[in-house]
Amino acid sequence: MAGDARQRHAINLEQELRACAGGDKNALRRIYDQECPRMIGVAQRMLRRRALAEEAVQDTFILIWKHAARFDPERGAGLTWIYAILRNRSLSILRDERRLDTDADAGAIEAVSEEDDPEAAMSKLSDADALRGCLQALPAQRRDMILLAFVQGLSHGEIAGKLGMPLGTVKSWIRRSLIALKECLG
Amino acid sequence: MTSEQDREALAGEYVLGLLDGAQREAFERDIDHDRELDTAVERWRARFAVIDQSALEISPSPEVWPRIEAGLSKSRIVKQAASHEPDRASMLQQWWDSLWLWRGAAFAGLALTAILGGTLFLASTRADRQPVLVAVLLTDANVAAAVVNTFADGRTELLPLQDIAVPKGRALQIWTLWDRQTGPRSVGLIDQAKAAPLQLTDLPLGPNQLFEITLEPASGSPTGRPTGPIIAKGLTARSL
Repeated sequence: MAGDARQRHAINLEQELRACAGGDKNALRRIYDQECPRMIGVAQRMLRRRALAEEAVQDTFILIWKHAARFDPERGAGLTWIYAILRNRSLSILRDERRLDTDADAGAIEAVSEEDDPEAAMSKLSDADALRGCLQALPAQRRDMILLAFVQGLSHGEIAGKLGMPLGTVKSWIRRSLIALKECLG
Repeated sequence: MTSEQDREALAGEYVLGLLDGAQREAFERDIDHDRELDTAVERWRARFAVIDQSALEISPSPEVWPRIEAGLSKSRIVKQAASHEPDRASMLQQWWDSLWLWRGAAFAGLALTAILGGTLFLASTRADRQPVLVAVLLTDANVAAAVVNTFADGRTELLPLQDIAVPKGRALQIWTLWDRQTGPRSVGLIDQAKAAPLQLTDLPLGPNQLFEITLEPASGSPTGRPTGPIIAKGLTARSL
């Protein structure tokens, strides 16, 4: 899966992470050169504000450096390890921000661009990608719930508000959709 | 739904970022000693990874890498301290590893000194007044960056505890939030870290009220809401 996406990864992330664990700052810089722009893109879809997205990415690289020794290639790919740190960091900044930012849809900061539309995020996946096929097999509203959570970092409550649905319904539909996705993807 | 499906769905919700604070912490404790659950999480991450890979690429500002580098030298200090005496008992080693705790204690001390300093300063100029509410504003690295003191007569002031780098054409804006419905209100704008009175005359003020400093354009946030990075924040507490 993700044939085209993976081809742009010229460096071996697992190897670079091992070098980071050994204290090689150039290895971190190589990861930065290759992944930073995409990482800012991912963080910005959740955080909206460019400055916050850069803050999340900055923190992520410092965490990568500090915890590189904990990366275990047996458990998963270097790429998913790095993006898991980024997503965690972005989510906690998002939660902190929400204490201050009271606009329910956060629209006051930067309007949601077409880029952030859940369907747009899916349409950018390759046709050949298994996830795209399985997401398309879900009813549109259920698919959007999954994408709003993953792409924009919305909570159950925020998704319910956005789609005008009861919280309990959103929770149970997401669970069922996850199980359907798992069965579809095998 | 079988319990197997439950676990699978829970792992999926975790990866989607849908578990809230307490649920999330409990789940993270579980995956530490539940290999199967951990594998389920990894599988979900791999399944959804293509979505992140489809995100738009955005070039970082030139200051991002220098800031990362600055952060690395700090974390190296932690490493050196941790490996300084590798033969110490593991308990002691853990203490060294949690250097942040020492740092936190040091900064708490610093903050207290600053609060006392501020109080003494005020005591000498306005002998009859003590702050009734105090907020220590911490950076995301838990460093005390400033204190907000409020007095019985309603006057409020900001006392920076350390220099804050303000790029040219930018300023530090101070905000307070007492009610989510109303949203954050600007209470001050300063061009550099310096003691400054805050404008809270018509605003409510109480314990557990959030104060924060953000970096904004020199003339203040154009939207009337915080737009720049958060420099430091903290909640008010009653002083004794």
